[in-house]
Amino acid sequence: MEPNEIQTALAAAVEEVLETMCFTTVLASAEGAVPPEGDGSAPALNAELHFQGNPSGGFRVGVPMKLARVVGAGFLGREETELSDSQAGEVVCELANMICGTVLSRLESKATFQITHPELTPPEHSVSFEGAGAKRWFDLGEGILTVSLELQQTV
Amino acid sequence: MQLHVLIVDDSPAMRSFIRRVLELSGLEVGRCLEASNGEEALRLLEDNWVDAVLTDINMPQMDGEELLRRMSGHEVLHLIPVLVVSTDRTEGRIQKMFTLGAKGYVTKPFAPETLREELEHSLGVVHGTE
Repeated sequence: MEPNEIQTALAAAVEEVLETMCFTTVLASAEGAVPPEGDGSAPALNAELHFQGNPSGGFRVGVPMKLARVVGAGFLGREETELSDSQAGEVVCELANMICGTVLSRLESKATFQITHPELTPPEHSVSFEGAGAKRWFDLGEGILTVSLELQQTV
Repeated sequence: MQLHVLIVDDSPAMRSFIRRVLELSGLEVGRCLEASNGEEALRLLEDNWVDAVLTDINMPQMDGEELLRRMSGHEVLHLIPVLVVSTDRTEGRIQKMFTLGAKGYVTKPFAPETLREELEHSLGVVHGTE
C-alpha cells in the first residue's frame, strides 16, 4: 500500500463524511500532524479505535472543543450552545467510526474488518502509533481536525 | 398512515441523526423508539409493534447480525422489515446481512435522501409480497 494511496483515501474519506453528515466543508488539508502555521497545541478531544483484519491497526481523530461543537451542531442539527461536552464527544467518536470505515473500504474494498467501539482518550493518554501509516490535518475554518492511521504489518 | 420505527445503534449521536433525517424526510413518522443494542431492541419489540427496524451491525452485547437472526427466526418479528445502517461496505458483509433477512442496506456516511429511498424500498418489498 503506497503512502500516496493512503493520503488520498484519508482526504477523500474525511471530506465525504464531513460534507455528507455534518454539512461542513474542508477549506484546506495536507499531510502531517499539524499545519505549518499551527500553534502545536494538542487537540482537546481525541477519539480512538482499533481494527482487526488485513491489515490491522488503529485510527484516531483529534479536534479542539470549539470545533467539536461546530461539527456536532451540524451533525445533530442543533445550536452549538445547546450541545453538552458529552454530546460533542459522542459525535467525534461517531466521526472516527465513519471515517475509519470509509478509509478502510477505500484501501481494501474486498477485505472484512472488525472495528472496535471508538473511545475518547485524553491527549496525555493517547498511545503513540508505532506502525506504518499516515497523518493528515484538515482546516475547517473554525479549527483544525487531525487524523492518524496506523497500519500494522501482517504475516 | 404514520410510520413507527425502531432505531438500533450504540451511538446516541447516530440515533439522533437518523431520527432527525426521518423527521425531515417527509415521511410521516409516528413512534420512534431507540435501542443501543440487539438485546434492548428485542425487549422493546416484545411490547411494541413497529413498521421498520433500522439497525447498526457493530454493537456491544448483541450485534446487528444476531438481532437479524433472532428476528428472522421469530414467528411474528420476521414480518418487520429490517434496514441495516453500517460503516461496513464490504461485499461479504452486505451479502451476509441480506442472507440473514435484511430488506435494505445503507452505508455510513449517507445522504438523507438515500436513507429515505432505501427505507421506502424496504417497506415496498414487504407491501408488495405480503
